[in-house]
Amino acid sequence: MTVNQASIGATPSRSGFLRRIAVEYGQELIVFSAIIALFIVVSIVNPRFISANNLTTIFAGNAYIAVAAIGMSMVIITGHIDVSVGALIGVLATISGSLAVAGYPIWFAWLAPVLVGMAINSFIGILVAYARIPSIVVTLGAMSILRGGLISVTGGDWITDLPSGFMIAQKRFFDIPAPLIFMVVLTVLAALWMRHTPFGRSLYAIGGNKEAALATGIPIARRTVMVFAIHGAFAGLATILFATQLQVIQSTVPPNLELTIITASVIGGVSILGGTGTVIGSTMAAILFATIGSALIFVNVSAYWLRAVIGLLILATVLADMWRRRAKS
Amino acid sequence: MRNTVLTAILALSLSTSASYAQSPWTGADDLPTNPLACDGTPAAAASMPYDGGVPTNAPDRKGKTIKVVDVPKLVGIGYFNATSKGIADAAAEMGNMEAKTDGPSKANIDDQITLIDNYITSGVDGILFAANDPVAIAPVLKKALAAGINVVGYDANSEPDARQWFVNQAQFNGIAKAMVDSMAAEVGEDGAFAIVTSTFTTPNQARWIAEMQAYQSKCHPNMKWLETVEAQEDNILSFNQANTLINKYGDELKGIFGMTSVATPAAADAVTQAKQCGNIAVVGLATPNAMKPYVNDGCVKSVVLWNPVDLGYAAAYVLRAVADGTLEPGATSVNAGKLGDLSVINGSEILLGAPTVFTKDNINDFDF
Repeated sequence: MTVNQASIGATPSRSGFLRRIAVEYGQELIVFSAIIALFIVVSIVNPRFISANNLTTIFAGNAYIAVAAIGMSMVIITGHIDVSVGALIGVLATISGSLAVAGYPIWFAWLAPVLVGMAINSFIGILVAYARIPSIVVTLGAMSILRGGLISVTGGDWITDLPSGFMIAQKRFFDIPAPLIFMVVLTVLAALWMRHTPFGRSLYAIGGNKEAALATGIPIARRTVMVFAIHGAFAGLATILFATQLQVIQSTVPPNLELTIITASVIGGVSILGGTGTVIGSTMAAILFATIGSALIFVNVSAYWLRAVIGLLILATVLADMWRRRAKS
Repeated sequence: MRNTVLTAILALSLSTSASYAQSPWTGADDLPTNPLACDGTPAAAASMPYDGGVPTNAPDRKGKTIKVVDVPKLVGIGYFNATSKGIADAAAEMGNMEAKTDGPSKANIDDQITLIDNYITSGVDGILFAANDPVAIAPVLKKALAAGINVVGYDANSEPDARQWFVNQAQFNGIAKAMVDSMAAEVGEDGAFAIVTSTFTTPNQARWIAEMQAYQSKCHPNMKWLETVEAQEDNILSFNQANTLINKYGDELKGIFGMTSVATPAAADAVTQAKQCGNIAVVGLATPNAMKPYVNDGCVKSVVLWNPVDLGYAAAYVLRAVADGTLEPGATSVNAGKLGDLSVINGSEILLGAPTVFTKDNINDFDF
């Protein structure tokens, strides 16, 4: 059933174009509409909400979550999960910052988290694919190891005196904040790759129906390792934004960062059961979180509501997912 | 389904009424407050009977050279290096104390208990400690008291009857006064400010905010609190929240209080990147190391915390006074060398004094 999802775009559908869009991108449309609705309502309450500065805060401030959610979406679509990504980003930020402070070339300090992220996650992928340990177990273990290791190695000290050239998240190109460019370019590239390459499409097949994927000759184990490696690369790219936003790199990661990233994927329409979803959805969901967070302050609603709203969105998303699956079958 | 979600979001966006209430400040607890006098006169301490422990058959140590071991939560970090330095400074100044610091390499209560136990066995006259766990450390400290050893805590307390005295680095109303006074000095008596805290229910932060409100309404009544926002212990979220406050209030916002070592540097970064240094003051609780970049470039003028060198120094003087018998249950103050007389509070605690405001002139002398 879920394999069909990937092929809807390729085979002509009998229903109309709009209906096809609505079925295929239902969740993305919901999230997009929610963002637009919020912008309209809050801007009426307080026009400063759509000032250039606040748009920068909304679109650039959460870009690292969107970038990390791209890789997370691929992992979930393939039928796995990774709860260690928050700890991984903390470790990679410390590595990147330490290299920059130690005087290594800036490009190397940026490249290192991507490569180390790929290496660590390849190892996780091998345990998942070849040792056949469930990904939730492997990544729970990895989370403890990475978190514990980070505190032990840094002793809780923060990294300061970062060179100013390192701070790419604070830069602007053509007056557009760099994190926004990262987020948009990476999302578009990943979305195209997942939709138009055999490798990308095979992820939906693996997550949707493993036996069928195996029967069609997809090398599932190898692809699984590679998906985790790609996810590691996106975690590394997210780290670059995370580590260069402030002049200080902390040795602790934001609490529940991995859950925020997973939530972005799920609210963006990636089925927690695997097989469906897009990275456009997860990026829009990350933008939606940022929009809600800012909106709550602008309309003077307690931040407690942020959690309630996100909880509501998760429930609504899962219900919508089930409804669409039922409608299709 | 789509309708449900949109309706929910719209409903939430529009439910703005409740939070316009001006009092109390969001994020403050509702326990009684005890604001200090505006001019810094020490608060009259409510007298409370001594509730510390008493060593059994302690030998007469008056004036004699005593061997003291200092067991902090852990060694090798800047904060406890600083307390250790204070203890060593005091010992050198007094001339009749041999002090050494030996603590676990991680903040681990089991390692700390083992260490203290070993020192009881090997024989010392005094133990200084900063507990990793107030309850778990109590039995081994009681064992030390039973062996006639003088026991004094600092930084992190144990159960009161497991030690003789505890040197308290700061009280909530003292921190609150330093924070609000610093903000008033920077933004003026009619400035408006907002607060970035961890969560509205974090006990210490909620207590500080409640005391800040009490002190502000008493001593700086024309300052205006705008709102308090939560940022967990999340640096990027703190940065985003501070940015949103700047975007929302524009010129009205004159200052931001950071309530944690995570929120304060992130707020300072937001002000720096928004090019509002000099227009929006950032005053906060934070460790000097986290704030050095912002203090050194002039964007932040006041960082409030206690001075750990003074804390260790005071602890050593208190231990000496206990060993000499000059600090006895019921005393109201104790002499701590260059720090002068420190007051006894809460029965068996000694208050270090007003917190330290770190500025450009002294922040680089600290490494924690």
